[in-house]
Amino acid sequence: MTEPLLAVDDLRVAFAGDDGRTTLAVDGVGFALQRGRTLGIVGESGCGKSVTSLSIMGLLPKQSARVSGSVMFEGTDLLRAADRTLRDLRGDRLAMIFQEPMTSLNPSYTVGDQIAEAVIRHRGASPREARAHAIEMLRHVRIPSPEQRVDDYPHHLSGGMRQRAMIAMALACDPQLLIADEPTTALDVTIQAQILDLMRRLRAETGTAIILITHDLGVVAELCDDIVVMYAGQVVERAPVAALFAQPQHPYTVGLLGSIPRLDQRRDRLAAIDGTVPNMTAPPPGCRFARRCPFADERCRREAPPPVEVAAGHMSRCWRAPLEHLVQ
Amino acid sequence: MTPLIQVDGLVKHFVARRSLLGRPTATVKAVDGISFDLNAGETLALVGESGCGKSTVGRLVLRLIEPTAGAVRFEGRDIFGDNEAELRARRRHAQLIFQDPYASLNPRMTVGQILEEPLLLHRVVPPDRRKERVGALLATVGLDPAHARRYPHEFSGGQRQRIGIARALAVEPKLIVCDEPVSALDVSIRAQVLNLLRALQRRLGLSYIFISHDLAVVKHIADRIAVMYLGRIVEMANADALFAAPRHPYTRALLSAIPVPSPGAHRDRQILQGDVPSPIAPPPGCHLHTRCPHAIDRCRSERPGLVGDPAGHATACHRWRELPDASQLVPREGTASAVLEKLQAAFVRAAE
Repeated sequence: MTEPLLAVDDLRVAFAGDDGRTTLAVDGVGFALQRGRTLGIVGESGCGKSVTSLSIMGLLPKQSARVSGSVMFEGTDLLRAADRTLRDLRGDRLAMIFQEPMTSLNPSYTVGDQIAEAVIRHRGASPREARAHAIEMLRHVRIPSPEQRVDDYPHHLSGGMRQRAMIAMALACDPQLLIADEPTTALDVTIQAQILDLMRRLRAETGTAIILITHDLGVVAELCDDIVVMYAGQVVERAPVAALFAQPQHPYTVGLLGSIPRLDQRRDRLAAIDGTVPNMTAPPPGCRFARRCPFADERCRREAPPPVEVAAGHMSRCWRAPLEHLVQ
Repeated sequence: MTPLIQVDGLVKHFVARRSLLGRPTATVKAVDGISFDLNAGETLALVGESGCGKSTVGRLVLRLIEPTAGAVRFEGRDIFGDNEAELRARRRHAQLIFQDPYASLNPRMTVGQILEEPLLLHRVVPPDRRKERVGALLATVGLDPAHARRYPHEFSGGQRQRIGIARALAVEPKLIVCDEPVSALDVSIRAQVLNLLRALQRRLGLSYIFISHDLAVVKHIADRIAVMYLGRIVEMANADALFAAPRHPYTRALLSAIPVPSPGAHRDRQILQGDVPSPIAPPPGCHLHTRCPHAIDRCRSERPGLVGDPAGHATACHRWRELPDASQLVPREGTASAVLEKLQAAFVRAAE
């Protein structure tokens, strides 16, 4: 296989709290992403999925976050790169979109100016060229009458239109990698459908690789090639999308799939996962999921399981995988 | 048998802008003529996107706000005719659960005090039995009775929602209005709370008005579903009928818009273009005509009535009989593999 576009290896992030205790937010995360592919990172609140993406972008607060491991992107280790190098990469080769567009749109500049800024900064375009490019990008994300909208301020736009404007800004310099952190979570379903449709079309047109961070397994199933499932700071399962949904190999994934009410299946009772996630200032010994796992045994509570490859390209961090034999 | 709740022609306008002299110059028609019945022990879901008026209907049914027009009858009596004492007595029978349980729990009170308050107010049990009752309530919602001494911040989001449910149950209500009760919760916790709400309903014979934007959640919990768009019900039917054969173009678009966790599943997509129009100046005729692919001239001028068939499936669309087949909007009912089903069953058993 060719050199991956992005390779994350043994990423660890710890935050120092005010009380002197440290919280382990990301604990030995690793995955690779090929050019043009879409990787979904799935998990519930606090599993470390957003912290993982912020450390790839170099956006974690330097004072409180201790980061180790490596994140190789086109030959550069982003964790050790100088601030200047990161600034040159961000908005150019690497871009990010967020759940709430107003976190990345500045309310006091027009959307056109904000898209143009990236093109002037990274491509050395003249203001006139940059404005023309901004209009082109707005058309690209299917905003109607882009020649007028380019002079609008963010508050003039509806939620769905703002999300489009933010995507236009992220894609202005044709990045190799787009990180999308819950890009449709705050939107109504009919608007979410529009944005997912747009992302699908843009991906086909530009070939940008995407990391999609979400809690919504439906969104992942519709958009991603590969999936990473995170629990309590660790990758517990990694697989191509079809295999993950058909033959999940980590009990947490099994429970997660069983706990969503589905339109396409009849369920009398949801397979709720009992209990709550462990406290990460003092993570339990052994498997992090053991206390909530119906299949856990003595070893699971005592020793932390290593990642094992249960099938080609299918990794699970579970002593009891493959799971088939548990119910036969 | 009289239905528990009869909602008849309910209208609620909010003033959006006033002139210099305080005269209203713009009104939001949040609820624009809504009628439905709810039987004892039944769950009716109100579904729709932001601004469709679903939460306002919930607040009107509890008389937390006054209507512009229309009536809500609780066991046959119009609640808007109640005086203050009658209203307070009625509150015992109709309770509310919120989306954000934390915002609804007083951070300075222990969970025990929070649960005792309604018992005291409505004199549900004699004073010497209140503590015992609080413990029983906590056990009912799956919490440890010893937690009565703790404060709300010591609990996780799912546990706080359980406390909110316990407080609603304290006064032994007949109706609970659940306003997006699981939207703020993580998926695995959401399932715990949904299972709890269903179990409580079976055990106590409660009626729910379940307000949600999530059709998959609603499919799981509701007996009947009313789909709302810009203050009106556009379609109302038994849950099974609605998902098997959605009639209204808006219901169809909502169904086809929900991502389904079946990679590669075939489905027809009906993506609505544009945004929801402002409720200050909703379009004339059918509210959906600006976004509807099937709209004709009649839709632009004439409001379609909500017309029911003998099976109780009601639709507010001039053209629903002529629309194409809608069986491919949701991937056909799939089944998980036998192995996966057995694995998931282990989680169900473990939770019991």
